[in-house]
Amino acid sequence: MQRLDIKFSKEIGSYDKFNAAQCFNCGTCTALCPMGINILPRILFRYVLMGMKDKLMENKDAIYSCLLCRMCEDNCPEGVRIAENIRVLRRYIGRHVYGL
Amino acid sequence: MNTDAENKKIGVFICHCGGNISDYVDVEKVRDVIKDEKGVVFAKTNMFSCSDAAQQEMIRAIKENGLDGIVIASCSPRLHLQTFRAMAERAGLNPYRYTQVNIREQCSWAHTHNRQAATEKAVRLVRSGVARTRLAIPLQEIRVDTTPGVLIIGAGAAGLRSAIALADMGLKVYLVERSPEPGGFIKGLGRLFPDDRDGEEMAHSLSKAAIEHENITLFTEAEVVEKGGSVGNFLIKVDIKGQNPASFNVGAIIVTIGFSPYTPKNGEFGYGIKGVITLPEYKKLLAKQKRGVEYAGKTVRSIVYIYCVGSRQSAGDDRYTYCSRYCCASAVHTAILAHKLDPHISQFHIYRDIRTYGKYELLYTRALEADSLFLKYDPDEPPTVEKTNEGLLVRVKDRLTGNEEIEIGADLVVLVTGMTPGKGGRLSGILKIPIGKDGFFTEIHPKLRPVETVMNGIFIAGTAQGPKTLSESVTSSLAAAAKAAGLLLKGHVDIEPLVAKADADICTWCGACVPACPFDAIRQVEIKDKKIAGINPAACKGCGACVPACPKRAIDIEGYTDAQIRSMISAMAREAK
Repeated sequence: MQRLDIKFSKEIGSYDKFNAAQCFNCGTCTALCPMGINILPRILFRYVLMGMKDKLMENKDAIYSCLLCRMCEDNCPEGVRIAENIRVLRRYIGRHVYGL
Repeated sequence: MNTDAENKKIGVFICHCGGNISDYVDVEKVRDVIKDEKGVVFAKTNMFSCSDAAQQEMIRAIKENGLDGIVIASCSPRLHLQTFRAMAERAGLNPYRYTQVNIREQCSWAHTHNRQAATEKAVRLVRSGVARTRLAIPLQEIRVDTTPGVLIIGAGAAGLRSAIALADMGLKVYLVERSPEPGGFIKGLGRLFPDDRDGEEMAHSLSKAAIEHENITLFTEAEVVEKGGSVGNFLIKVDIKGQNPASFNVGAIIVTIGFSPYTPKNGEFGYGIKGVITLPEYKKLLAKQKRGVEYAGKTVRSIVYIYCVGSRQSAGDDRYTYCSRYCCASAVHTAILAHKLDPHISQFHIYRDIRTYGKYELLYTRALEADSLFLKYDPDEPPTVEKTNEGLLVRVKDRLTGNEEIEIGADLVVLVTGMTPGKGGRLSGILKIPIGKDGFFTEIHPKLRPVETVMNGIFIAGTAQGPKTLSESVTSSLAAAAKAAGLLLKGHVDIEPLVAKADADICTWCGACVPACPFDAIRQVEIKDKKIAGINPAACKGCGACVPACPKRAIDIEGYTDAQIRSMISAMAREAK
């Protein structure tokens, strides 16, 4: 059981421009991902939106597996800036976990 | 014109319907058989009987041959009965001396596998049509004078709006409201979607306009207790609290009794726990707030909305299986209002499906931009609400992350409740208008006759018909006003004469027909000191339920008399004899 904390997403949102709220979970991005990691990127983004910080940290590998190829982004019907969002997450983790 | 059945001159027109009929029925053969039928003096096939050219030709044939009756074997009367009646009238023939025989839906389309049998069946159908037409007598439409007044039951947004519209057209309006004040549901709800107008203000301005209108009489704390008469001239009795009952005549009735918001059962999604409230309660709460959201003296930081409460439920005693349609948009709009009051508030929407259709999609997008978070739940695993030391706790499985189990701490839980049928009490019994499976009043046809009921002159509008948004409610109320005005401003209504008629010589008034009539059209009358059944043609629907109930066989339906039906059966079964 995970406790939702919308503050975390606001923290990331204010930290940098993270946009995923308009995602309507169609799954096109996941289907197109050449890395075949099924939480990439939509479930990952929901973890951020819902403030599930622990879940996000558990999936650091997925965040760093993304090739930033933008195949998903080009095909997103809602125009979510997926690659940029992944970069935001990497920056956040780099700063807060690895102290970079 | 000849009224003697033996010497009637009948014309028969058989339609190819392009190929819809002629592909499966040998229409030429049907014509060849029918042209020798007794009384038939003219028989012809048409490619499209409904076409202008064919109608012109038929008119010429009627005039040139002095026809007393015509039979058109074509499609369903639903499609072209009126077309051909008008054509008969243009040819100077009483429209009730024309019979339409359906050899498309009832023959060619039904028997595409057997051309020969379909052709034989078509012959029999047309023959029975000829038999009926031979006995047809000219009938006149029944003209009823109308009273230029309308009764509107329910003074909510829909009732008030239609009352003002009708009063503006110069009709007298009696507006009957059960509660002490007009205005209905929107009162006190605060700002309403989609334009943020205040519900209180709207209810007030509508009520004011209605009260000040010289053509509107408003009765509050009043209830309709009796309805007599029929279309064009209803006699209404209204009970008013603490006063003498009022009686008046109206030509039409509009029912806008509205709905009741669903009240959750104790314990349903935590209802009963402090801080768990319904959407209308929440809207009333927000309407009073200037800055920030406060509940019971505390600042609210986190709100959880649970959707589809009292809608789309398949189990339980109260089955509200339908979607209430307005609640998603209303909840989403309210979340936008809450965000405006306090941009730091956290809002979680736990939904089954979101239906913010049409323009209201924009509200959904605005809610997203206002940091609302949407979580989808499975109806088999609905969210739970409980009270803990830290406050309210909502548990839910989020389908969008593959059923991740989630806890949300909330200061306020809003149950987004649906609409349930309005409490009409005895009204459906008094007005005799049908109620659908969801408990709301039903119209004749949802697309083609959306505010009319099976009772002539009685209309329904607003949420009395089913869940609606405010704008849909007002739209339908104005449609009902237009329908009522269309009926009354002419000063009279013409009713189809295909109604029941009792033979005064045979009827001995036993009263057996009265309980058989579903439309309350039969009363005892006295003609030359003899008591007989008097049938009100304006109330009679020509259903024929009274006909078999009569032990003396005194009742006939005009256009479908016993003699006509018997002759049709004989004609169909001729070879079998």
